[in-house]
Amino acid sequence: MNVTTRDDVTAWLDRLAERFTLIAPMAVEEQVFYRPVAGSAEIAFDFVRTDLPVKEYFLPSTHVLLSIGRDQGEIHVEEPALDGERVVFGLRPCDARALHVLDALFLEDEPVDPYYAERRERTVLVGLACREMGEACFCTSMGLAPDDAGDVDLMLTEIGEEGDGAAYAVQVVTEKGRAILGSLSLEGVEGNPPAPTVREPIPILEAEAWPQHFDDVYWTRLGDRCLSCRVCTYVCPTCRCFDVRDYEMRDRSIERLRAWDSCMSEGYRRIAGGHNPRPTKAQRLRNRFYCKFCYYPQDFGPVACVGCGRCIATCPVNVDVVEVLEDVGAL
Amino acid sequence: MALATSESWPATGRRQSGSWQNPYRPFLGSVVGAEDLATDIRMFQVALDDPGERERFTYRPGQFAFVSAFGVGEAPFCLTSTPRRGHFLEFAVNKVGTVTRALHHMGEGDVVGVRGPFGNWFPLDEMKDRHVILLGGGIGGAPLRPVIHTILDNRADYGRLTILWAARLPSLLIFTEEFDDWRAAPDATLHVTVDQGDETWTGNVGLITQLLEQVAPSPEDAVTITCGPPIMIKFTLLTLEKLGFTRDQMFVTLEAKMKCGMGKCGRCNLGEKYVCTDGPVFSYAELSGFLESL
Amino acid sequence: MSDKIQAKARELLESGQVSCFVGYEEGTRGRVRPAFVYDAQDAERLIWDDRCTHNLTVYLHQFQGSGREEPPQVGIIVKPCDSRALNVLLHEGQVTRDSVYVVGVTCNGVRVNGQPQDRCQRCAERVPLVYDLVLGGVPKTVGREDYADVDRLEGLSPRERLAFWMREFDRCIRCYACRQACPACYCSECVAEQLDPAWMSIAIDLPQKQFFHVMRAYHLAGRCVGCDACEDACPMDIPLSLLNRKIAREVETLFDYRPGQDATTPPPLATFDKEESIPL
Repeated sequence: MNVTTRDDVTAWLDRLAERFTLIAPMAVEEQVFYRPVAGSAEIAFDFVRTDLPVKEYFLPSTHVLLSIGRDQGEIHVEEPALDGERVVFGLRPCDARALHVLDALFLEDEPVDPYYAERRERTVLVGLACREMGEACFCTSMGLAPDDAGDVDLMLTEIGEEGDGAAYAVQVVTEKGRAILGSLSLEGVEGNPPAPTVREPIPILEAEAWPQHFDDVYWTRLGDRCLSCRVCTYVCPTCRCFDVRDYEMRDRSIERLRAWDSCMSEGYRRIAGGHNPRPTKAQRLRNRFYCKFCYYPQDFGPVACVGCGRCIATCPVNVDVVEVLEDVGAL
Repeated sequence: MALATSESWPATGRRQSGSWQNPYRPFLGSVVGAEDLATDIRMFQVALDDPGERERFTYRPGQFAFVSAFGVGEAPFCLTSTPRRGHFLEFAVNKVGTVTRALHHMGEGDVVGVRGPFGNWFPLDEMKDRHVILLGGGIGGAPLRPVIHTILDNRADYGRLTILWAARLPSLLIFTEEFDDWRAAPDATLHVTVDQGDETWTGNVGLITQLLEQVAPSPEDAVTITCGPPIMIKFTLLTLEKLGFTRDQMFVTLEAKMKCGMGKCGRCNLGEKYVCTDGPVFSYAELSGFLESL
Repeated sequence: MSDKIQAKARELLESGQVSCFVGYEEGTRGRVRPAFVYDAQDAERLIWDDRCTHNLTVYLHQFQGSGREEPPQVGIIVKPCDSRALNVLLHEGQVTRDSVYVVGVTCNGVRVNGQPQDRCQRCAERVPLVYDLVLGGVPKTVGREDYADVDRLEGLSPRERLAFWMREFDRCIRCYACRQACPACYCSECVAEQLDPAWMSIAIDLPQKQFFHVMRAYHLAGRCVGCDACEDACPMDIPLSLLNRKIAREVETLFDYRPGQDATTPPPLATFDKEESIPL
């Protein structure tokens, strides 16, 4: 394997930050988020996983789809300027897999979403393998491993001790990754990076087996305690539902905004006129699980869950997707 | 009597949309005409500004497009015109929300955006030589109008035409000026009913399901298309089944809240089917297999 | 104590007096969560210990009759803070007294992830204020409101205070967990999501988030009982309790009023008293 030291990595990241927008895990109060950093000094290297996924940088929580100018009855439509090139550092395999899941919808299913496509193209993904699984993590149940390098351009795996003396094994996965390696000094040594400690995966019901349980009273009971907030959908790396609306600016120009929306919200499906196909929170909660484990794989290929466990950690009323998967398997 | 899926009716309607590179970007068009169809329902005629875009914008009965009222937003509307009858795109707009209200304020020359066409279309080729029965409730008649026009313009290709047209009140019936044309067509009958009459109404009073049972069309070699409010669709399908129609003879076109038209925003799914890409036209046979109902 | 709750729930369900009993149960990963018991034999799921932090009164809406003459009775466990919330709901006509069977529990404070909660140390009530039955021993401790955190906030200059709140709201993701967990936020259509008119945009940006939180705090003025369900639910650790308590102290200072003490005292912000008008 090729190894490098923490000091060499930080120097390399500082050089990258001069050429690219460097997005990396940053500590904010007690939490860790992927944020643009000015240099390696701002990066948090020691974390399990970030509290919000990296999807913010590919499907922003809010962004401008179109700018519409109005000039004496004439209308002209403009698309926003493209983002610059970016490097995401410290990407956990689950978050990287989540991008692959979103690709199935936004890139591979026609028509291509140009906003997502452009951000994907202009971003190099530098992964950071996990040494162990977090308390709420279940990536191994979703066909992933904590050191899976399949969805990133470069993969770093910690070897040796933690702290400034830490060393990393560096794996070049794609040409895009090789292109930014630059002068990061690498030394070839014998051996392989240590394997992460993993937990036993739980069996996941395949998509075709879900429909038979659709009308089970289990979902009504599960929905009782659901608050119908949006936490699970917003912290989820694969949830992607959005809303689009126009707003008039002070100078009378118009911005067409796209923003995150959530199938868990009560008015999500309500048509002007009042009809609401999913009026109860139990129906919405059921739809969310079916969308992730039954509909998305049938429509687009991958299961829309990567086992990151963020929804488990944040749901105020302990709707635990692992428990639900076990329960559904036993129905 | 099964209707096979064939080239003429692909299962999905993913086609060109919006700007050819950016599917979220609308074409610009101008309102060239508007006509009140009923209380709070107005039909708009839109001409796309760019002649090249106008040429390329081809669509079939059943498809829909997003119309933008810039500054407010966009909403999906079925295309109630047919390409053969002119270059104008026609939309019947019911004033129920912010976008539709903004559209109702528009006059000749005002600029709108159009994205589309989206969705699949009615299986008109499969319907040839058959008895076509159309059931429209309220604004639900709008997607049926291009079917009527296509049949009238190609009369010899289709069998008998039976139209059942309904609304809650006489003032909510749409396309009433076309009734004479429809009745005058060879081998075509039009039955109209309202839930509740008014002082001047002399026609049928009763629900469309009651009218349907009276008319009692034969299911033999027939195809039905139903469109209207969800509750009307539900009971009309039940009544058709009572009259002996099989589920693959019955088609519906559905409405849903949509934001993209392309299956991306996640909003319009009924189970694993998206109304915008797998529909909005579905057969009742298909619909019965969905996990979620209307 | 759990067995006493189970016994009462069993009795209420068996006799048909309640159609559902809302309490707490063991969840996954050492957590406790709301429990809805419909059958007497399931009453054994119900537990009570210092992990029972949720304010269950937020669920009472889904059991209200909405048009029916007699809503089904629902049984519910309330801690003292929850009972204050229940008083607010009774007062505002959102819940009728005879539609709930209230099992009050005396409380010595709850813990979230093992941490004692600030609100418990400030809570002067250890016995619920409204109940049909009260369980639990004589409380061992009693808290005292001191508004020390509000004092610290008020010690900042206005500029510093603005910077503080903007930094906190920046992390907000507009998930509405705070609103959904709050028993007093029961509007069928929230101002934040209304489209017609659109008071707020759909943008998840700082101006919208600031507007949402300040507006919600004002809508809770004179109504928030300090149960902190909002702060517990927030995934981004935003100090919502501090914001609500700042306003609660203003109300208390101006009107000598603390919400939730009973279901009859006219709330100052919903009461027009001629003597209060200020002559021009």
